[in-house]
Amino acid sequence: MRYVHLYFTCIKRSIISRLEYKKDTIVALFSFFFSNFCSLAAIYFILQAIPALAGYSLYEVGFFYGFSMLPIALDHLFSDELWLVAYRRVQEGDMDMHFLRPVPVLFQVFAETFQPEGFGELILGAALIAVCASNLTVTVSFASIFVLCIGAIFGAVIITSLKVAMAALAFIFKRSGPLLQVIYNFSSYAKYPLAIYPAVIRALLIFVIPFGLFISLPVDTLLHGAHNPWLLSLAIVGCAAVFFALGVWVWTLCERRYESTGS
Amino acid sequence: MIEVNELTKVFRKPIRGEGLSGMAKTLLSRKYEEIRAVDGISFAVPDGEIVGYIGANGAGKSTTIKMMCGILTPTSGSVLVDGLEPYRKRRQVAQNIGVVFGQKTQLWWDIPLVESFKVLKEIYQISENDYAERMGFLGEVLDITRFLSQPVRTLSLGERMRADLAASMLHNPRILFLDEPTIGLDVLVKEKIRLAIHELNKTYGTTVVLTTHDMTDIEDLCSRIILLEKGSILYDGPLKSLKNRFGNLKTLTLTVPAETQAETAPVLSPDVAVSEDDGRLVLRFDADKVPLEQVIQYAFRDLRALDMKIAEISIGDVVKTILEQQEAEHAEKV
Repeated sequence: MRYVHLYFTCIKRSIISRLEYKKDTIVALFSFFFSNFCSLAAIYFILQAIPALAGYSLYEVGFFYGFSMLPIALDHLFSDELWLVAYRRVQEGDMDMHFLRPVPVLFQVFAETFQPEGFGELILGAALIAVCASNLTVTVSFASIFVLCIGAIFGAVIITSLKVAMAALAFIFKRSGPLLQVIYNFSSYAKYPLAIYPAVIRALLIFVIPFGLFISLPVDTLLHGAHNPWLLSLAIVGCAAVFFALGVWVWTLCERRYESTGS
Repeated sequence: MIEVNELTKVFRKPIRGEGLSGMAKTLLSRKYEEIRAVDGISFAVPDGEIVGYIGANGAGKSTTIKMMCGILTPTSGSVLVDGLEPYRKRRQVAQNIGVVFGQKTQLWWDIPLVESFKVLKEIYQISENDYAERMGFLGEVLDITRFLSQPVRTLSLGERMRADLAASMLHNPRILFLDEPTIGLDVLVKEKIRLAIHELNKTYGTTVVLTTHDMTDIEDLCSRIILLEKGSILYDGPLKSLKNRFGNLKTLTLTVPAETQAETAPVLSPDVAVSEDDGRLVLRFDADKVPLEQVIQYAFRDLRALDMKIAEISIGDVVKTILEQQEAEHAEKV
């Protein structure tokens, strides 16, 4: 409970920081709308160019794309500071302050930034899903909606945990940004149906870097009833639990290797 | 109470070649050199003491402080802060210590100072009453009330340092680690900060470990100093005995007529070193060996001094002498 309260106090701080520069805020708002408009346009053109993909129709591919945005957006809201940790903050010895406070370092990293941009991606993804779904004839059941929700929420947990583990490596290598980038980029493969990939990559996307597990499989389940939604939900939650535990474990292990910088 | 026992920190750095090809070789080589930043030091600081922790740049001061406050994990040896190891029980220790690094601010850059304090209040779980009381005390001794609503980025260095100091004292820590808290500040701000540290120590019995290159800080605040060089302790004890380490050293600076010169001046004793500095004669001697009275007589009678200034050796001179001696010994060994 204390941490929930503390989290909101810190987030408030992060938003005050954001609003401190008036012109910057206006520019940020403008670029936020502009970049979202651009990505929407990009999706439209991509889908126009590929009317069907490996037996999937235009609207089905659009549905995949829209759904893949949800877990990514959720992760974006809460864990953007990890990029800075991986790219810069450890290398520059800028983590000292977190080590001096009576709160877990990882918690402070999460509480350092809140990215409202994530809301935009969330809305955009949801809108794309709504548009595509209205043009599809699917039998919607509670179970298939349930597995989508599980996929989005626990998918975000998996992405965040992966990011935590990769960012933590910065404590050892001083800089782990590029590594984090490589892992994160796997999310772009998962924006399309798994069926378009060779078996090796498919397996990789389900069992190793499981973006396929929580994006493609739930969508396939909704569109084509490909998998048992309850078992799939269980698999996603279980996978999220394992990744979360691993992420935190790697972080605590690496954290002790922090070397700061000379002063 | 801080207990440091055989504390050692070794950094492993790859041995690098120079230039691009050298760097490329470094990537493949597995050779490392070990830098012993802190090398088996032991000391204890009882409650309520103000200790000056001094030494040249790179002597290992900051590394020790970082191990004492839980940022770095020692390679071997141990630190106990009130009986807890800071790198193992980091959170518990953090609740009881305050830390200021003069070189890095720990405040949030773009929000008003008071907002930073409010976040810290939550982080350290400070009650409303305590918070009000501390803000009153700190506002007064550090004079920060005036710029509380300004974002930290707009503060001058002196203001920022006072703000940082206030932030580190907000939760009433039992121990305060100050790493160069007066670096780059003007005389007046330095004075203010020294007074605040003194006041805090007196009012709350806070233990203070202070590193600085400003010997006035040391003389004003510390009853005890620890002198560190190349990761080892050279001296640990009261300020007074360090000062008297080379005897009761005094310096006489004389204004003399033009015809009196260092080379041709009559010699009083081999124990009185005579040198020239900017047209003045400077006499250095140990007043325990050669009585002061005798030297003064000599100055007026034999050197025809017109005016004179007597000074005790400064702590800075002592430290300088010790470090120079160390360096000379080191050079001889090599």
